[in-house]
Amino acid sequence: MTRLRVRGLAAGYGQTEVLRDIDLPDLADGQMLGLLGPNASGKSTLMRCLSREKRATGLIELDGLGQDRAGSRRWRAKVAAMPQSPPAPSALMPMELMWSTARALDLALSDAELGRRIEAIFEATGLLPVALAPLHTLSGGKRQLVGLALALIREPDLLLLDEPTSALDLRWRLVVLDLVRDRLTRQGGMAIAALHDIDLAARYCDHLALLSRGRIVAAGPPAEVLTAANLATVFQVAAEVSTRPDGGIAVHILHPLRDDG
Amino acid sequence: MTDGDPSLQRRFAAIRKRRWFILGLLGAGLLGCLWLDLMAGPAGLSAEQIVLGLFDPHGLELRHRIILWQVRLPDALIALAVGAALGLAGVETQTILDNPLASPFTLGVSSAAALGASIAIVLVPVLPLLPEAAMLPAMALVFALGAGVLVLVIVHYAGGGRETVVLFGISLVFLCNALTAALHYVADADSSQQIVFWTIGNLTKAGWPEVWIVAACLILILPFSLRQVWLLTLLRGGEAHARSVGIDVARLRFWGILRASILAAFAVCFVGTIAFIGLVGPHIARLLLGEDHRLLVPGSALCGALILSAASFLSKALLPGVIVPVGILTAIVGVPMLLGLLIGRRRQA
Repeated sequence: MTRLRVRGLAAGYGQTEVLRDIDLPDLADGQMLGLLGPNASGKSTLMRCLSREKRATGLIELDGLGQDRAGSRRWRAKVAAMPQSPPAPSALMPMELMWSTARALDLALSDAELGRRIEAIFEATGLLPVALAPLHTLSGGKRQLVGLALALIREPDLLLLDEPTSALDLRWRLVVLDLVRDRLTRQGGMAIAALHDIDLAARYCDHLALLSRGRIVAAGPPAEVLTAANLATVFQVAAEVSTRPDGGIAVHILHPLRDDG
Repeated sequence: MTDGDPSLQRRFAAIRKRRWFILGLLGAGLLGCLWLDLMAGPAGLSAEQIVLGLFDPHGLELRHRIILWQVRLPDALIALAVGAALGLAGVETQTILDNPLASPFTLGVSSAAALGASIAIVLVPVLPLLPEAAMLPAMALVFALGAGVLVLVIVHYAGGGRETVVLFGISLVFLCNALTAALHYVADADSSQQIVFWTIGNLTKAGWPEVWIVAACLILILPFSLRQVWLLTLLRGGEAHARSVGIDVARLRFWGILRASILAAFAVCFVGTIAFIGLVGPHIARLLLGEDHRLLVPGSALCGALILSAASFLSKALLPGVIVPVGILTAIVGVPMLLGLLIGRRRQA
């Protein structure tokens, strides 16, 4: 049962067109889509279109909800984005930031309910020990986790993650993506993540979309998308793609391709 | 945390409670300062006479009644109103521009007020038919609000870009200072001295109408600031975070700067450019109360009022028989307070 459909999405800044003809694989409940592509390929812009922070044309439909202005509030209530940059290192405590975000969003929760929800999210993201420490004393990775916690506060149907693991070390990358997957399995909903790490994307995502210069080069199940030819086109690297014994895909990047213009 | 590990919510509640308590202490401190301020002065009014005079003005002899009701009370109350307005304007500017060095003064509001006042001082005696006493604050107010409008136009066209706003505000400061200097240059010695005296800032010229106007401005604007406390707190998590949550940051910035400009304009137009409170009041509040704007917004207003009230007391108590302009004392009072807190914080850490 499809919940999110994106067809022919286009967006730009002024005269410059940044995204064109974007068709994404349809997402059903519990599914996760990974966006892969080099820097400036339009991943972040696509994310911002999906969160409605940025205007886009084309068909974007979530549970039958379209892009009309009237549905904007309901859209925002269903979708939460975790921006690429972690929360600023101020003297604010993660707990206060969570609390004020929830209150600014007008979440209909009593103080006790909100407290419990925040505590549960901090527990899952491993932030409990630093929940009352000023943000400026936290490492970049921890602050990134706070960013994820903030996106989870309204229990969104669609979770948008822009490079959610860029500041995290190996273990926490896995923990974060496990957390997201686990949430999808247990509570339903969908996630779209812009990722740099191809292996992680192949492992955690049901669908992948390869972006290059604002266009989709390939989209579908990881095994179809991650081919040596596609990787060469999009990333200009020579790669070896093999199937692991457990059926997953392993990608070995070999060397950069010569730039032939 | 030796007694086991109490739940996160309990610890959070304890922190909040402590901070509300500190806010209460600030309020109590403010009342204390107000009392000292009322007591200070050369007329030798006793504490009983003041208490009696506050509740039953006609029980005092005329001379004392005039001193208490026409001199000390307006001076002491305008210190509270102006200090609170500047503290509030300061915290809004700092949060909204995400700049710890920002204050209503970096927006150019006070320099514009000084320019307006200078024009009034130099030109008004030349022009007939205009009442000088009303012209000075009116010109200061008009110029200060004008600076605010200019900044808002820039905010609008810069799409809310905060560096542009600060850069423009500081340019405005330089421009106004240059024009004020030009007026100094053409003015006679008497006017020049008046300008200098005005720009130092002093409370003694204020009467009840001024008190009511500044207080009304504060009372009208404070609820709007308080309605934004969640958004302002959230903004401390950074602009990207606020945007991702769906907050219209440019709009928030526009209204915040509008509020701060109005507050600062009304605060300085009667008493001169009392520097420093808009900058340091919020910092002192932040060190005491943290970044939660539910506490920080009222806390900054309280700290601003507290500094100015303490300075007002000192301005009368420091040299017997002489009233030092209060603008000279705000920094002398505020810097030690800030340093004390910073050093205390260092020790704790």
